[in-house]
Amino acid sequence: MDEEHTAGYKERCAVCSEVDWGISDEGRFYCRSCHNVIERTKEVVEPTFNPSSSRITTLSRGARTKTPERGQQWVICEGFQFILRNQADALIRLGVSPRFKDEVLCELWRSFLQKSGQAYASSLGRPSRTAGVTTVLHRGGDTESSTNASETDGDSCNAGSARDWSTFSGSLDAVSYLSGHMRRTRHSLLSMKRTLALIHVALVWSREPLTLSDLLRLVNEGHVPYVNAYQELPDEMKLQGKDALLFRVQSVPSHQVVHSDAQALIGFLKLPAFPPISRQSLLHPSLLSLRYLMDANLPDELHPWVCRLMERAGMADQTLHTIHLKDCPSLPRYDVQTASLIIVTVKLLFGLDDRTEWELSHEACDQDESGAMFNPRRWFRVVQAALSRAQHRRTQEVARKQWVPQKPLLLSSQKKSVALKTKRVAEQVQLCFEKLSGRPVSVQRGDPSSFRFLWGVGDSADGPSLHQKKLDGILTLKNGVPTPSNSTYWRPALSASQMCSRLYSDVEATLPRSFVWLLQLFCFLLDVKPAYLLQEVLRVEALVVKGNGKRGRKPGSMLRTKIQTWA
Amino acid sequence: MDDDKGEPGLLEDSDGEADLSDDKSSKGENYNLSAINPQYKETWRTSSFQHSTKTCLALMREALLHHRWQEAAEYMACYTQRLEEPKHGPVVQDKELIWRIGTEILHHHPNSKMEDYNNIYERMKDSGFTNYLMISLEHSFHLLQNGHIKDAKHQLSVAESWRHGKKSAAQYKMTELILVYKGLLDYVMWCDKKSTLNRAEYPDRLDNQDMNNLFRAASVHLKEILKKPGVWDPFILSYVEMLEYYDDHEEVIRVLKDYAYDNKFPPNPNAHVYLYRYLERRNASQEKLMKVLKVLCALVPSHELMLEYSRLLLKSDQITNIHKALGIVLEMLDFASWRSSLDAWNLLKAIIKKLKSQSNWKDSVAEKMAARKDWWPALHFTRFHASKDSEELKEVKASLTKVLCPGLMLQYTAGQTTTEEGTGKKTSKRKRMSSISQL
Repeated sequence: MDEEHTAGYKERCAVCSEVDWGISDEGRFYCRSCHNVIERTKEVVEPTFNPSSSRITTLSRGARTKTPERGQQWVICEGFQFILRNQADALIRLGVSPRFKDEVLCELWRSFLQKSGQAYASSLGRPSRTAGVTTVLHRGGDTESSTNASETDGDSCNAGSARDWSTFSGSLDAVSYLSGHMRRTRHSLLSMKRTLALIHVALVWSREPLTLSDLLRLVNEGHVPYVNAYQELPDEMKLQGKDALLFRVQSVPSHQVVHSDAQALIGFLKLPAFPPISRQSLLHPSLLSLRYLMDANLPDELHPWVCRLMERAGMADQTLHTIHLKDCPSLPRYDVQTASLIIVTVKLLFGLDDRTEWELSHEACDQDESGAMFNPRRWFRVVQAALSRAQHRRTQEVARKQWVPQKPLLLSSQKKSVALKTKRVAEQVQLCFEKLSGRPVSVQRGDPSSFRFLWGVGDSADGPSLHQKKLDGILTLKNGVPTPSNSTYWRPALSASQMCSRLYSDVEATLPRSFVWLLQLFCFLLDVKPAYLLQEVLRVEALVVKGNGKRGRKPGSMLRTKIQTWA
Repeated sequence: MDDDKGEPGLLEDSDGEADLSDDKSSKGENYNLSAINPQYKETWRTSSFQHSTKTCLALMREALLHHRWQEAAEYMACYTQRLEEPKHGPVVQDKELIWRIGTEILHHHPNSKMEDYNNIYERMKDSGFTNYLMISLEHSFHLLQNGHIKDAKHQLSVAESWRHGKKSAAQYKMTELILVYKGLLDYVMWCDKKSTLNRAEYPDRLDNQDMNNLFRAASVHLKEILKKPGVWDPFILSYVEMLEYYDDHEEVIRVLKDYAYDNKFPPNPNAHVYLYRYLERRNASQEKLMKVLKVLCALVPSHELMLEYSRLLLKSDQITNIHKALGIVLEMLDFASWRSSLDAWNLLKAIIKKLKSQSNWKDSVAEKMAARKDWWPALHFTRFHASKDSEELKEVKASLTKVLCPGLMLQYTAGQTTTEEGTGKKTSKRKRMSSISQL
């Protein structure tokens, strides 16, 4: 069986002078009579390399140049188009209405391509390798069709084959895409992160209740393709070399990053006024807060308080939530905003200064025999237990997450053989340990849910539900109007803009623990950083307390304000 | 891309985006690994992939420390993706981590089998060249431990003929080790052959061809290593055993003497012990034996062979030797490990007895005990010792108290425990008790 490999080698063995070679397990030649192993190894046949599929070869470089394999020519925006389509399809499968993709996303995409000059333009600003030659590509109106590049191509073909090793890529324009000229006009670039920004803008436009934190959660859990999304591109589009820089990602971007990218996109595309987000739409704080209240196991009676606070802060107005380039040019962060509102409400009602809420709990406990009153202490215990379990579960999921693709995409072909070998090694080691542990590495993706926690009775519940509890324990009647028993409200002497320049750990040390814990809870629910959330909380607080009299900023960490009537 | 690096906006962009700074080759620069190793610094450049693998490693470490082997195996299966890190390829530390932690898990996991070990070792050898030799050596140790001697030898043969680039100093050292262990394996096989030797088949025991071959193969390597400074105890023992079998005594003496007396080698008491034992086996003269033990005495005064040495000195009947013997035994008894040794105390008693035939024995004893007077009583002759020591020992020691520490009232007497150590006060109670003890 080794004869076919060793037939060509007829040297005598150095030790025993025989010509009887075999191949060992490692692929090395060894002498069958004296077991002397030599340096020579068996040629490994690379299964994916197909030498017969060369199209054009030139005189330069000879056989060392890797000739383009059989496959169509494609440009970067086509690749991203496919990825975007797959992402949108995944969202539709999860329950988003198809309108989002057909009407909104496609239009956005086309408008983006047009504005950035990558398609749908009579003279494309996309520079090709051969300077001065503008190439015109026709694209079908149907995003599904995979069109060929037709008349380009004598030139770019030659350009492709005559390129040297360092500019090797599968697509036609990866190199020019990454060139300095394109990078300077940054807003017109496509990247994996940009696809998420596009989807987010489209979702906001179609007023789907999927917030940015939900979207990122779906991406993290793998329901929406992002990491290794390039594997789903059709086989004819070969990804090689420099394409890796664009299509290969090793991180899921954070909330802040995608949000700012979406903001930039809106500015770049100069979109008209968005469809209004009224109180009836699910992105408006009044309805979105219901969802977060339920997730945080807070009683339903809290919702009217949230709405009142929202009105006081002037956030009920739909113009604040609808993006319009003149009136409201900034993209609101619906999820973070609503969470901040809830935090401020809870802080108002419970105090959250490490003292008031426990006193209120005592009182509620004393007054209440039936157990129908909402008790902050009980809430804290129940939610904390569930939170720590959920955080531990999430850490484990993060640890077990597999990032490596089935088809590796490498920057340079030189490392391909090494990469294939290490892949083989890694797979075998993984197999060995999988067998040993009896648990396969790839997790089965369960159905995603809008909620992080499940409150209620039952085996899979995270804890008992406190939604039906009454708030009577913490409210008193004053002039016939229920008002919070807690009569003072504290604020850190910090504004939202000052928060940017401070380290969160410094600020966090000055805050009461209950407040910090509540921040952590919502950070877990939304998967954002605490500093980010705290900034928004400070902003909302400023809006709420605005017009409450001119109070000089006292030096010190806390400001206490008397709560006025909330009629 | 140097012009773009100045823009601050670029830094935000990198979060979640493919790292475009890899793309240096378009400017003709060489692709160097950045000076800051990005994988171990938690900066904005840490990707989610690195975060995942770091978390995995931390959880795996927790599982290992708490001996949760099943869990550790699960995490290890997830951690192997680190080998496929696309940007810079697997780092040597990662490979080493996977090798070492993997084998540790296999050691303790209840379901691990030999095939798993072989599999892992082979794969990790494939993964890179830095650790290749070390892994080969460990693999062969493991095979040896489980009795697969031939496989172990095969592993070492393969490793011996492995080359990668220019041989570094570390590789050279490792190869030496590999060769010498190969020799040791030959010795093990030789021993096996020896034990199964059929007398009838081979009347001349020196004539067994296989054994001779093995011996020759082993001696080549063992001889080599014995030329280099180091501690080679198991190897020299095996070599000596084989040489003795073949009656090559000059070689044995030469090898042992070189090992013991060569100044380039680190001081090794065992070398002298081996030489002594050999000479003892060969019934060498007392002078020779004493010469060997003299060096050992300087190295390890508390060695058990010091008893032998003292006995030899005593036997020689020379006054200087007897004084020397006294000194040696006292030095031995300085060490707490000999405190309850009946042999040592008996020997001391015998020496003192012999010494008593001299006229000024008290002076010589006092001279030797001068430095020890302060702390020997606390070391040997307290009430606690009296309660712990056996009867025989107490007798011997009690009889020596007067000799060694004259003038001190010690509460160490055979037969009974007494009160607190006095400082010269004679109470009637004590007098009574000491009289009882002399009964």
